[in-house]
Amino acid sequence: MKKIEIFKLTSLNREPLLVEGYLFEGSDPEAPSVAIVGAMEGKTILPLYSASKLIDFLKNSISDSKKILGNILIIPSINHYALNINERFWPLDKTNLNMMFPGYDKGETTQRIAKKVFDAIEGYTHGIILETREDLSTCMPYVKEFKSGFEDLEDAKKFGLKIIHYKALRPTDTVSLQYNWQLWGTKAHSIVCPGETELNENSDEIFESLVNYLNKNNIIKHKFLSAYESAIITSEDIEIIKTPKSGIFIPTKKIGTQVIEDEIIGKVLHSLEGKVIHKIIAPCNGVITCSYKNALILENAVAFRIIKNS
Amino acid sequence: MQIMEIFSSKLPVGENLVIKKSRFEPLAKHDGSKRISIVSGIHGDELEGQYVTYLLASWLKANPNAIRGIIDIYPGVNALGIDSITRGFPLYEVDLNRVFPGGEDEFLPGQLVHALALDVKGSDIAIDIHSSNIFLREIPQIRINKEFSNATLPLAKELNCDFIWIHDAVTVLEATFSHTLNTLGTKTLVVEMGVGMRLTKEYGFQLLTGILNLMKKEGIIETDEAFEVREPFSSEVGDVFYLNSPTSGLFVPALSHCDIIKQDDKIGDIVNPLTGEIIETLFAPHDGILFTLREYPVVYEGSLIARIFGGSDEKN
Repeated sequence: MKKIEIFKLTSLNREPLLVEGYLFEGSDPEAPSVAIVGAMEGKTILPLYSASKLIDFLKNSISDSKKILGNILIIPSINHYALNINERFWPLDKTNLNMMFPGYDKGETTQRIAKKVFDAIEGYTHGIILETREDLSTCMPYVKEFKSGFEDLEDAKKFGLKIIHYKALRPTDTVSLQYNWQLWGTKAHSIVCPGETELNENSDEIFESLVNYLNKNNIIKHKFLSAYESAIITSEDIEIIKTPKSGIFIPTKKIGTQVIEDEIIGKVLHSLEGKVIHKIIAPCNGVITCSYKNALILENAVAFRIIKNS
Repeated sequence: MQIMEIFSSKLPVGENLVIKKSRFEPLAKHDGSKRISIVSGIHGDELEGQYVTYLLASWLKANPNAIRGIIDIYPGVNALGIDSITRGFPLYEVDLNRVFPGGEDEFLPGQLVHALALDVKGSDIAIDIHSSNIFLREIPQIRINKEFSNATLPLAKELNCDFIWIHDAVTVLEATFSHTLNTLGTKTLVVEMGVGMRLTKEYGFQLLTGILNLMKKEGIIETDEAFEVREPFSSEVGDVFYLNSPTSGLFVPALSHCDIIKQDDKIGDIVNPLTGEIIETLFAPHDGILFTLREYPVVYEGSLIARIFGGSDEKN
């Protein structure tokens, strides 16, 4: 393994931002290759944790380096400045790095960062982006695949995560890393990580899915735990459950739980008086995949998303 | 004048998020009268538009007999952002001008912009007033998407701005207020002027004159008052030159915003406050007018320092 500099940026008052990639060179020049981009945002931990755990795994758990067949580049974080002060986006101008691709070397700071990252990861046969949801919810980990015309759903199944969310491309997605990486010929996928800021017993699920993916694409040779057969989900398969009342939100069913129609899955309390002002009822049989993550919920906010049993 | 709520949502703790507009209508009905909507505060750190809407509402209140059409004023679209000095929509940290057209089933920012788009829909003209951001100071200018320029350019020339910048269609900008409303048939113009978190009084009066002039030309007001407007320069007859910071540091400008400059004139220095050194001195890449100048001194490599509008070499 060798560390390579992706970019270095000086700052008026902070230490320079040095972003490095960890390159594991494969033993088989014919094998496919993969680049993995970890934390682009600073308020969640799983993209960083999963990428860094994979580095440790490749370094220390694969005893025979010949079992790494294809080149693997892992960039665990490109936004240390945000992570270190719990900012979500680029700390100075609050721009979202994942809306700056393919980048521009003569542009604004985050466009330049995106360009340097894109130059480093271009040309890999496979690409993985570790993201979190844009809204105020947390979720089961899933693969996000745009209907871009370049997607490869069969390849996305190799992560072995339960869900692949196959979704329409919005105008703002055309400046995302996934779309541009695909446009440049890489089989790129996004894994949407739960938005937790703490780690727990389920935190290795994404790391395990990365190992599955590398294994199934013959980038590494490593016997590993079995994976799920992924279900491809579109917006028609998802029931959105909103709360008509704002207040204190108490989910009574966890993400990943199978629920039945008419079951109470959460409640909203009057935030000043404590009484229950709304009971959230499951409108269908299915699995809770997403839940609002803040204790104070807004009116008409999406409290839960349920994938309907079919 | 009527004050109307266009969107309301109960917040979790004892407060409603309410977006309001004021509507000015003629004292007597006029057939075929037009409607104009003036929108500001989509970005919570931009206040110049609020000053313009204050001046406009004040003029309309003082001149009720001049009103021939409907004038809707939406001063503070991102109400939570404006009152908390937050550019995006608080909590969600999203730019409201990247989530149009929104929808009833979307997250709160999407619901809000959807309500705004529906309410403005049907207007003949809309003006979306922005003030750059906290980082840059801009002269009063109109930004126009080439896709809609046939309809909007003639209106832009009436607005008493200094510069009209016609830009190419970009997919990501389809999520903006102006693209959404132009698509819905409302001729929509975007004004950029001044700087974030501050008011520039002279720009406020300048744009007020332009809006009154446009409304008079369109028959929305009828008055003997004459509104003299300047002739803007346009990006059709020249090029925009960008100057980005080559390094990180503290930017100290050497020129005033809006100056006419020559190629190689000094724009400013990037300095190191710790060592007392000048790290870089920046020079103008071309002759022209300095229509954008860095206001917030902290810069990283790539931070925009200045934009200069100058005649292109071929056209000269």
